[in-house]
Amino acid sequence: MEVLKEKVEEEEAAEREEAAERAERGEKTLRPVEVRREEAPLTQEALRDLEKKLSEILVPGKISISTKDTIDILKLPVSYQTNTPKEEHLLQVADNFSRQYSDLCPDRVPLFLHPVNECGLPKFVSTTLRPTLMPYPELYNWESCAQFVSDFLSMVPLPDPLKPIVQQQEKAPAKKYAIKPPRDLSSKFEQEQEMKQQEQIKAEEERRLREEEERLLEAEKAKIDPLHGLRVHCWVLVLSGKREVPETFFIDPFTARSYSPQDDHFLGIESLWNHKNYWVNMQDCWNCCKDLVFDLGDPVRWEYLLLGTDKPHLSTTEEEDTGMNDDEDLDNLCKDDKDKSFDMPSSWVEQIDISPEAFETRCPNGKKVIQYKRAKLEKWAPYLNSNGLVCRLTTYEDAECTKTLEIKEWYQNREDMLERKQINKVTGLNIDYFKPGHPQALRVHSYKTMQPGMDRVMEFYETARVDGLIKREETPKTMTEYYQGRSDFLSYRHINFGPRVKKLVLNSAESNPRPVVKITERFSRNPAKPADEDVAERVFLILDERIQLRYHCREDHITASKREFLRRTEVDSKGNKTIMTADMCVSFEVEPMEHTKKLLYQYEAMMQLKNEEKLSRHQAWESELEVLEILKLREEEEEAHTLTISIYDTKRNEKSKEYREAMERVMHEEHLRQVEAQLDYLAPFLAQLPPGEKLTRWQAVRLKDECLSDFKQRLIDKANLIQARFEKETQELQKKQQWYQENQVTLTTEDEDFYLSYCSQAMFRIRILEQRLNRHKELAPLKYLALEEKLYKDPRLVELLKVFA
Amino acid sequence: MASLGPYPPTHWAASGKMNRLCNSMEPRVMDDDMLKLAVGEQGPREEAGQLAKQEGILFKDVLSLQLDFQNILRIDNLWQFENLRKLQLDNNLIERIEGLENLTHLVWLDLSFNNIEAIEGLDALVNLEDLSLFNNRITKIDSLDSLVKLQVLSLGNNQIGNMMNIIYLRRFKDLRTLSLSGNPIAEAEDYKMFICAYLPDLVYLDFRRIDDHMKELAEMKHQYSIDELKHRENLIQARLEDEQARREELEEHKAAFVEHLNGSFLFDSMYAEDVEGSKLTCLPGVSELLEAYKDKFVIICLNIFEYGLKQQEKRKVELDTFNECIHEAIQENQEQGKHKIAKFEEKHLLSLSAIRDESELTKLEKKIVEYSGDITELFNVLMTLEMQLVEQLEETINMFERNIVDLVGLFIENVQSLMAQCRDLENHHHEKLLEISINTLEKIAKGEFDEDLPDDVRSLFVDKDTIVNAVGASHDIHLLKIDNREDELVTRINSWCTHLVDKIHKDEITRNHKRVKEINQYIDHMQNELDNLECSDLID
Repeated sequence: MEVLKEKVEEEEAAEREEAAERAERGEKTLRPVEVRREEAPLTQEALRDLEKKLSEILVPGKISISTKDTIDILKLPVSYQTNTPKEEHLLQVADNFSRQYSDLCPDRVPLFLHPVNECGLPKFVSTTLRPTLMPYPELYNWESCAQFVSDFLSMVPLPDPLKPIVQQQEKAPAKKYAIKPPRDLSSKFEQEQEMKQQEQIKAEEERRLREEEERLLEAEKAKIDPLHGLRVHCWVLVLSGKREVPETFFIDPFTARSYSPQDDHFLGIESLWNHKNYWVNMQDCWNCCKDLVFDLGDPVRWEYLLLGTDKPHLSTTEEEDTGMNDDEDLDNLCKDDKDKSFDMPSSWVEQIDISPEAFETRCPNGKKVIQYKRAKLEKWAPYLNSNGLVCRLTTYEDAECTKTLEIKEWYQNREDMLERKQINKVTGLNIDYFKPGHPQALRVHSYKTMQPGMDRVMEFYETARVDGLIKREETPKTMTEYYQGRSDFLSYRHINFGPRVKKLVLNSAESNPRPVVKITERFSRNPAKPADEDVAERVFLILDERIQLRYHCREDHITASKREFLRRTEVDSKGNKTIMTADMCVSFEVEPMEHTKKLLYQYEAMMQLKNEEKLSRHQAWESELEVLEILKLREEEEEAHTLTISIYDTKRNEKSKEYREAMERVMHEEHLRQVEAQLDYLAPFLAQLPPGEKLTRWQAVRLKDECLSDFKQRLIDKANLIQARFEKETQELQKKQQWYQENQVTLTTEDEDFYLSYCSQAMFRIRILEQRLNRHKELAPLKYLALEEKLYKDPRLVELLKVFA
Repeated sequence: MASLGPYPPTHWAASGKMNRLCNSMEPRVMDDDMLKLAVGEQGPREEAGQLAKQEGILFKDVLSLQLDFQNILRIDNLWQFENLRKLQLDNNLIERIEGLENLTHLVWLDLSFNNIEAIEGLDALVNLEDLSLFNNRITKIDSLDSLVKLQVLSLGNNQIGNMMNIIYLRRFKDLRTLSLSGNPIAEAEDYKMFICAYLPDLVYLDFRRIDDHMKELAEMKHQYSIDELKHRENLIQARLEDEQARREELEEHKAAFVEHLNGSFLFDSMYAEDVEGSKLTCLPGVSELLEAYKDKFVIICLNIFEYGLKQQEKRKVELDTFNECIHEAIQENQEQGKHKIAKFEEKHLLSLSAIRDESELTKLEKKIVEYSGDITELFNVLMTLEMQLVEQLEETINMFERNIVDLVGLFIENVQSLMAQCRDLENHHHEKLLEISINTLEKIAKGEFDEDLPDDVRSLFVDKDTIVNAVGASHDIHLLKIDNREDELVTRINSWCTHLVDKIHKDEITRNHKRVKEINQYIDHMQNELDNLECSDLID
């Protein structure tokens, strides 16, 4: 025991030294991503850290591959870099506990009590947890919270799953537990956030490489796992009791999946902790976790580290809010007796802050790849991919993941409402799923090729379509349409096409529809008509010139009426066209009726059917056109893959941003204008008067006169100014003209051109000045009068000037 | 603001001239020739017309008929046009609306520009939606009660003078268009307002749309009187509903055969014809006795009544269960039959085309024989199904018959025992009454009786025989009443039961006949088709 302790101390000392060294050098600490995530990575990290140091000590110069991330430890808060006395005390207590434990249970693995943090300081595991409330409703639900955390975590397998464990911890490591309520899962997020900057694609690639390696490794030893039961893992335990949790269950932080304690994958529990206390399992795990009793208040089953918080059910304390810590801290000041209760120091980690962007991005860099056995799952943050792809699941036939079986892709925010794509690589069948809102009301589109006239099924949101089409199936020779909710009760139309006729004349490509051979239409029962007059099915045999009708069956009958029309026009012996003969209509009537025997009736029925046949053929043609149109549209949409942006998404919505900015600009300008409008023309004159005194009439009159005369003067000045400019221009022009006339003979063409252009410009200026002057002369009296009127109406003067008005 | 209504009076302007023209011609009779001519002229054209000519058109197939400007004096000979939807008789000399009794499908009737003086003879036209009586001599709007679907009513250029005629139109819930211009009432200052107020659902008046502002004004102006009218209408409606409810309740009781037993009706009827009995009530102690008797009697009646209703419910449940069972069995059987036929038809189409395409005679014959075998087999299958069903139903019906007869028997038995209690009460009462009467007689004989008795009562107490006879007569009447009620109940329920059972048997037989006929018809058709094919093939 002594030896062990010494060794641990040595290691710790070495760690501290190194950390200090690094700090001195100002070198950035190399550290893997997972350092401050869930407990599991913590463990692994700790182990890897130790291993790294060992390797550094034993084999100088060799740098572990796993530590590529850099953290500037100097920028971390003090609490990361030092231990408070209380924390030191706690570490001592933990060491003491650990010593006693290994004394009592020499066969069991040393406890996982105080791994070192990113600054190389040993920190007690419970103090790494800091319950925090977050502003995202998703995090208040364990499923979505766990999903979020798992998205955020990247699985980095140890280079050798056994080696560090065997070397450092001696013997196989025990399984570790952490007990947390759902919301605590997010509490490590902020730390993740801090490191997000450093976490580069490098790590990502490397991780992938290693994943690949491990996958190969695993594939090799797929049958028997020699490490069975030896691996270390941390996961989350949610105890039953509070918050309507009916049963205790586990959450695997990497997959966000929940497991029952009955699950065979969980072989046993060594210890568990939360932010208040640490418990060691004293129960036998021969039957995995199935028989464990999770009553943490039972000291026989669960050996606690600190006496103070041994409440019967851990979750009880857990779920109270974080304020608890403060109270306990106060208590701690008074009691520091080890035998009495000793409270857990408050957490040394920083408060978490997740920005909405980071929350939406979820995974580091917005991308995450999870490799499964014969499957790969890729996730992206929304808007990261320009085509809206957010998730892709690829399944493979073989363990090496070379032969793709199927690809499923999920999309978000697509303008064409594409939601999911399914590509079966074996059959070549593509299935696209759409959300409601596609311009053609498309719901599902399954196809092998985008070429028209091939096997294809399109399903529609029938309520969004005027014609109530639900589904259209196509093969090279047929087209079947299913309808619902139509006013004509049509429910089914089947069209058989013949071989395409080669046209002699070369026409444009699309105007060669396949010839229709047969159209079968079925109708649902129209309750307004008697069954004998309500057609259930009609078949247009276009080549045979035959029309078959089958009517609906009467309620109490088993046979239905039928009618067949031969619409072949025949010519009688005299060469006249026969209009209608009895043998052109063969009918079977359940209850023979008189009026249907009439040729007139049959003739009218046939005329109507002929019309309807035309309509149906037209409909078939239109359906074909529509398919072409949809295919074209789909291709365009795939090409453009525009994404929609919610009007509430102020960051991404360029349009609204522009609008908002424009609005702000307008507001600003408006404000400026208002300020200008408030300029007081009386202000300079009022300022001359003694402040705070009421104006006398005399003063008011003087004020008015001054203001007016001042204005008059300004008007005159302005006129003079224009006049002066005018005169100046005129003089200059005259001078120039004089000069020109004097030197006309000697001038070069260039000079002459220059002179001419000057003249025209000067003339223009003079003309403008003249105009301005005239205008000013015209307007000045008006302006003067306007000011005078305004002054008479000015609220400050109006009373005093009344008499004179 | 106002827009033109749906039926502007287009022929109004021409009317004067036409009338003059018509007047100068002889009145005509609506005879067969005229109708045939009209039908022929207005029938189908071109190819269809040729066919129609070839076949002739039956009057009952005509949907629309136009007989304007014909100088018709009397509507006649229209009884055959039973499917007519639209009839135009405008610009004639018709004086009376008649001869339209058979035209129950009529939707559109134009009788404008005639000499009609009263609205009549429209009672059969329950489907009429559009009626024009423009330019006639009508003075009063009435006799339209049965035209519940009326939407358009044109009564312009008539002699309607009383505004109260409008109120009559309130009963037509679908009436949207009305024209009354050219009537004396249209001269009234308040004409429009009045109509708008009293017919708030009206949309067009005299070919102009009524604007909402006008409606509001009218409503405000006549609010008081309309409210009163509405109140009256509501009262009448409520009374009608009450009566209806009472009638329905009575029907229900009658169906349970215990009507008028939920009170003292039977008891009262016992005394209604019983002169002596009523006379004797003035004897001392009799009225108390009678009171007690009545109470007990009514209680028993009520018992019978309650029991009757319960039993009726039981019988109903029994019948419903039975019907449901039968219905299900028939449905299932039908489905099977349909399925067999559908399967056959699938094959049938293939077989027919195969036979058509077959050129070799021996093979053809073989195929025909095969196919004919298929038809026979289908026939056998369908008939077997039907026989099965008949057997099943027979059994069920018999069971039901037993059950319902048992139920009825039990009911009768119990009612009879209750009636026996009534009789016991009556006997008891009779004894008591007799005792009192004889006592009274003795007292009178002894001169001890000192109360006043009416003379006709006193006359009964002359001797013992008289009084005993009188009391006996009263008793007999009472017993007779009870017996009658009991007999009535028993007879009626028994006849109901027999009728029910008979009907079920009969229905089953009809159903069976129909099905067998249907199967035969179908098989015949199939066979015929095959035969025709054979013939045509042989000819080929």
